[in-house]
Amino acid sequence: MNNNHYRDLELMMTRRQLFGKAALGLGTAAMANLLGSDLLAAAGNKAGMHHPAKAKRVIYLFMSGGPSHHDLWDYKPKLSEDYGKDLPKHVRDGQRITGMTSRQKTLPLAPSKYKFTKHDNNHKGVWVSELLPHTATVAKELCVIKSTFTEAINHDPAITYIQTGSQVPGRPSLGAWLSYGLGTLNEDLPSYVVMHARTRFAEQSLFSRLWGTGFMPSDHQGILLRSQGDPVLYLSNPKGVSSDDRRAQLDALATINKRHHEKFADPEVLSRIKQHEMAYRMQTSVPELMDLSKEPEKVFELYGKDARTPGTFAACCLNARRLAERGVRNIQIFHRGWDAHGNLPGEHQSQCKDIDQGCAGLIKDLKRLNMLDDTLVVWGGEFGRTAYCQGKLSRQNYGRDHHPRCFTTWMAGGGVKPGITYGQTDDYAYNIADADGNPIKPNKDKWTPGTMHIHDLNATILHLLGIDHKRLTYRYQGRDFRLTDVHGHVVKDIIT
Amino acid sequence: MKPFPVLLLLGSLTSFLSAKKVDFAREVLPVLSNKCFVCHGPDTKKKDLVRLDSFEGATRDLGGYRAIDVASLKDSEILARLHDADDPMPPEKAEKKLTDQERDLLSRWVKEGGKYAKHWAFVKPQKPEAKGNAIDYFVGAKLQAEGKDFAPDAERAVLARRASLVLTGLPPEPKRLQAFLDDGKQDAYERFVDELLASSRFGEHQARYWLDAVRYGDTHGLHLDNKRGIYPYRDWVVRALNENLPLDQFITWQLAGDLLPKSTLEQKVATGFVRMNPSTAEGGAIPAEFQAKNNFDRVENLGISMLGLSLICARCHTHKYDPILQTEYFQLLAFFNSTAEGPMDGNRYEYAPNVRAPSDQKAWKEWEELKAEQAVILEKLEQRNKTASPPDPAYPVSNLSYKFYHGVWDKMPDFSKLKPKKEGKLSTGRFDLSARDRDDGFGFVFNGDFHCPVDGEYVFATSSDDGSQLFIDGKKVVDNDGLHPEVTREGKVTLKAGKHRLEVRFFENTGGEVLKVSWKAPLGSAEVAGKANPMSELQKKAADLASRIAAAEKKFTTTLVAKELPKPRVTKLLHRGEYDQPQGEPLQPGVPAALGILPKDAPANRLGLAQWLVSPEQPLVARVLVNRIWQRTFGEGLVRTPADFGLQGEQPTHPQLLDWLAVELRESGWNLKGMLRSMVTSRSFRQSSARRADLPDPENRLLGRGPSHRLDAEVLRDIALWSSGLLDPFMGGEGVKPYQPSGMWKALMHPGSNTKNYVADKGERLYRRSLYVYWKRTSPHPMMTLFDAPSRESSCVQRSRTSTPTQSLALLNETQRVETARKLAERLVRQAKDDDARLNHLFTLLASRAPSEVERAACAKLLAVMRERYMDAEGDALALLSVGDIPRDPKLKAAEVAAWTQLAVIVLASDAALFIY
Repeated sequence: MNNNHYRDLELMMTRRQLFGKAALGLGTAAMANLLGSDLLAAAGNKAGMHHPAKAKRVIYLFMSGGPSHHDLWDYKPKLSEDYGKDLPKHVRDGQRITGMTSRQKTLPLAPSKYKFTKHDNNHKGVWVSELLPHTATVAKELCVIKSTFTEAINHDPAITYIQTGSQVPGRPSLGAWLSYGLGTLNEDLPSYVVMHARTRFAEQSLFSRLWGTGFMPSDHQGILLRSQGDPVLYLSNPKGVSSDDRRAQLDALATINKRHHEKFADPEVLSRIKQHEMAYRMQTSVPELMDLSKEPEKVFELYGKDARTPGTFAACCLNARRLAERGVRNIQIFHRGWDAHGNLPGEHQSQCKDIDQGCAGLIKDLKRLNMLDDTLVVWGGEFGRTAYCQGKLSRQNYGRDHHPRCFTTWMAGGGVKPGITYGQTDDYAYNIADADGNPIKPNKDKWTPGTMHIHDLNATILHLLGIDHKRLTYRYQGRDFRLTDVHGHVVKDIIT
Repeated sequence: MKPFPVLLLLGSLTSFLSAKKVDFAREVLPVLSNKCFVCHGPDTKKKDLVRLDSFEGATRDLGGYRAIDVASLKDSEILARLHDADDPMPPEKAEKKLTDQERDLLSRWVKEGGKYAKHWAFVKPQKPEAKGNAIDYFVGAKLQAEGKDFAPDAERAVLARRASLVLTGLPPEPKRLQAFLDDGKQDAYERFVDELLASSRFGEHQARYWLDAVRYGDTHGLHLDNKRGIYPYRDWVVRALNENLPLDQFITWQLAGDLLPKSTLEQKVATGFVRMNPSTAEGGAIPAEFQAKNNFDRVENLGISMLGLSLICARCHTHKYDPILQTEYFQLLAFFNSTAEGPMDGNRYEYAPNVRAPSDQKAWKEWEELKAEQAVILEKLEQRNKTASPPDPAYPVSNLSYKFYHGVWDKMPDFSKLKPKKEGKLSTGRFDLSARDRDDGFGFVFNGDFHCPVDGEYVFATSSDDGSQLFIDGKKVVDNDGLHPEVTREGKVTLKAGKHRLEVRFFENTGGEVLKVSWKAPLGSAEVAGKANPMSELQKKAADLASRIAAAEKKFTTTLVAKELPKPRVTKLLHRGEYDQPQGEPLQPGVPAALGILPKDAPANRLGLAQWLVSPEQPLVARVLVNRIWQRTFGEGLVRTPADFGLQGEQPTHPQLLDWLAVELRESGWNLKGMLRSMVTSRSFRQSSARRADLPDPENRLLGRGPSHRLDAEVLRDIALWSSGLLDPFMGGEGVKPYQPSGMWKALMHPGSNTKNYVADKGERLYRRSLYVYWKRTSPHPMMTLFDAPSRESSCVQRSRTSTPTQSLALLNETQRVETARKLAERLVRQAKDDDARLNHLFTLLASRAPSEVERAACAKLLAVMRERYMDAEGDALALLSVGDIPRDPKLKAAEVAAWTQLAVIVLASDAALFIY
């Protein structure tokens, strides 16, 4: 079914006709979207699209550039023993290397300079680096996945891959799929909100395709919540125009539009009148959302003082919680600067300082408000970093190249088992390993227990939100596309 | 979900219709494709699995039984399995199941003989017979079959607005509208349409659709997303459409302009199409990977933009639905695999190969006129050269030509071992260095005839900076070699009367560049000196033109083009589409067998591919193109899945009409303007857009009413600029940057990107048509993307048309919307005396009509409120009137203009202005 057909259906058909059409083969997901929030509300939004949902909403903390799992989560004392030795051939085992290190004469192993401490969780404990002291305090809430993997070895393809399911541009983003699948629970705010957090190291680009809609109708695109200028593009009235003026304008506008509708009976006109009204309400609801003055002091203690500065990661996290409270189901924060080819310690220290307390604060805050159970929080980047050094190696300073074979991601809340680790890596954190520590080479075509391909990750995220990743499809060019392409496995081992 | 009565009704309707014979291609094939081919289709790997994509496959002996048993149809296995409760087909776990109607349909088809037919779109279209206006004949017939007739014609003003928007993307000028309304002649509308087709606004509007399809952008699209030199291609598209270049040539030039004999600059610029794939230079990227990815992108774009087919599946495995083998995908890829550019763009604007071309339409026109003038003069000089011997008694040199080289030398190189960058004739006979494209590091070799009037000893001399040499009949006469400032050297040679071969070699390292050649004839003959010789009038003209052309060419800008490698790259099938897994023998360029064969004599390169695409045997291209022309005229295509004419695509709503139009397009000489003219003058197009109580057809599949939908992002912006009088008519040139909220690019971009800072333009460039808005592919202008413009990272042949609250905010608050509204307000206040006249003017501009009484009352009410509001708040009024760069008219009363601005904003945002109807 094409977009316009779809749009016409949404607008023109009566509810009765819609149900008839759906019974004739329209997918349930599309169905939900046709009916928007009404259906979900009627069905009870915990019911989920395809199965009962564990999470009502998702907050995705995306670390763009590829954080180093070696320095944050994946503790490998062996690397310290082998400091400076060349990465053994059998460990590399044919892995292609980016053009940045492929001409290096040696691939010297670089142990993390940071101290790791084992923190209690609900299982065997989890090692966390001293760079993340606050995150370590919520270890009992985290499901730390050490075996995330991808095929892409460069940023643009890798980030496009994890966010859209394809390494080349053109597909809808994860967020767009969720918007398409979940609809909205708040008539006064957009259903899918994206924030860009400030960083000292703005290395690597972001692309609007990461929250774009590809071939899907563009109303599923992420709405940017900005810290500069209008929080939502064009939100404020022009200079010299008051809210009362706008009200009077909208009334006149509705009259002209209704006249148009009387003449042409085009149902799209009625929808547009509705959108003008929602825009008007957003002019109140968004400033109210951004106004932190009523947040008690203890909340700022959770997120840290940064949360008072608009645009910081902590402030974005607090905004995310406020959005979640207001029924926004689909929230993403992008934090750049994790691409540490050289001077990794210097850069990662600053990066971690940016995000650490915000992450912990968000989880504690959601917990405090009894929202963590049905809010899925996801943290991670597009790939990991190499065990070996890029450039000059010392105990105190080193760099790491891109590494696709394993990296760490964590999830919390929203139906994910709290306080566990999932998957493991070999002594070099270079390969995913089986339970005995032997390297294995999983692939995207067939799931191997203990592993999490990025398609598996996305399938699992959708699953937790009540969506079957195989059934959330969109017909384009004759093919029923889905986020996970022809791959993806729901990793039930991490689900409560 | 329980079935609703609607479903039951439809169920009984199908059984009622079942008396009719099953149409395989139209009814059965889509079901097989959608529900069965996933296992039993063209890419079936298991040998023992029955294939249902051909008659041969379906009737194959499976060991005592057959899926379709022609000998005994009732024993066909399909019939059993369709209704088998224990072991049904499709199986229980299948993602897609058959509906009851589909089961019934397949059973009936098998019982009727299980005959196969080729998918409709892969069969060459035939022109069905039509009476009268063919469009109306086919549309009318379908309406009649439903017992309906056309809707009445739209009101004339409405129709004028509709045609004007469809053809040029702008509403009619009020004066022209009035003239049309006053024109009582029979062919008034046709003449109105012809004017629109002739307007240069036509090409600008129509080009947008093509630029969406070929994913035109001003940046590379990946990683740093740096600037790319390509806008002369965009301007060429506009020009080609305005000049009504036949669409077969339009396609051929783009795919293979560089391979045409004696290809022109325009034809080369057109090959920018081949270079339109997004590209990267990300540190660490592997070249072989991007060589493959760039080519995938091109093949798949060819699929969508011209074949209306999704080829992407066949990249990794034989297509599941359409008869495209994986090998055939890579044979198509082989057409593109030998282009000369590297796989990585180096983040460079010039990402070679490129050519230099005029930088806007005016510059193109001027350059072309100069070239045309030059051609006439050169022809004349050429004629004179041929007839006169010596051509000019006063000047003994003729047939002079040059070769121009790049290189840095200390002494004369062996030019015969070097490849010239340029060659040409110098009909002026002067040793002219103006053909050079640089001032240092170059060389020239001149060859010509020297006419000796008498026998005797001749003295030749060169003055040059740096080195030069002069040869007569291959013998070195003057040696002025080496690095030096302007130095003169002579040489003597004895020659017979008559024609001798003259060659002058010259090189320039750095510094100044001079070359003068002179000679003295023996005593007794007329002494002719090269330098002092007066030029004839014609020669003067030619020299003047040459220098004007050189000056124009100096201002040329870089644009990416396609060029073929001297030796083609080897193309192999890539296993699962992985760049590092080539398999099997090298593949020759070729086209998918199901879609025909390359025409006889077609070369196995991009030119051959183009010849195939536009050949009369090609089943898809004309249908695909004409469907998109229909789509932009009527709002929806005849095939509602314009990117997919394959088995999974929708059937045409009017199959015969589509075929008629496709054949007509080709037979008319691929005449786009002609096609659009017959569409917009048809009765089908002229119908009123109002929904019909007597014809419930929400999607207008019967075409029983005119188009009605929101206009595209660009048109919305252009209408606002136009109505305010701000629209800058300048055509072409580098992308323009209107206002954009600050920080939007910076928030995304790599610090090394040269597109991380958005600096809004000043002056006229703020008000240029939206076609020219700078297209950064990873972050296009928000006023485009908010209103459904695609990112241009991949092909788009059908935009969505959404309605969102963020659109509402943008319409009412965005700087340029407000700026245009206040200039429109000034225009109204200035031009008309009273409120009524102003309102009439406002509505005539935007809706081509006066306001209704209800509208008039609503507007008057708003005006009254706003006048009162701004009367005592001049500060607010002045604040509003300072939005945007352009200053307010200080002669007008601020409160009055502010009130009208508030009104103009909403009429501009109303559906009367936003919609075509």
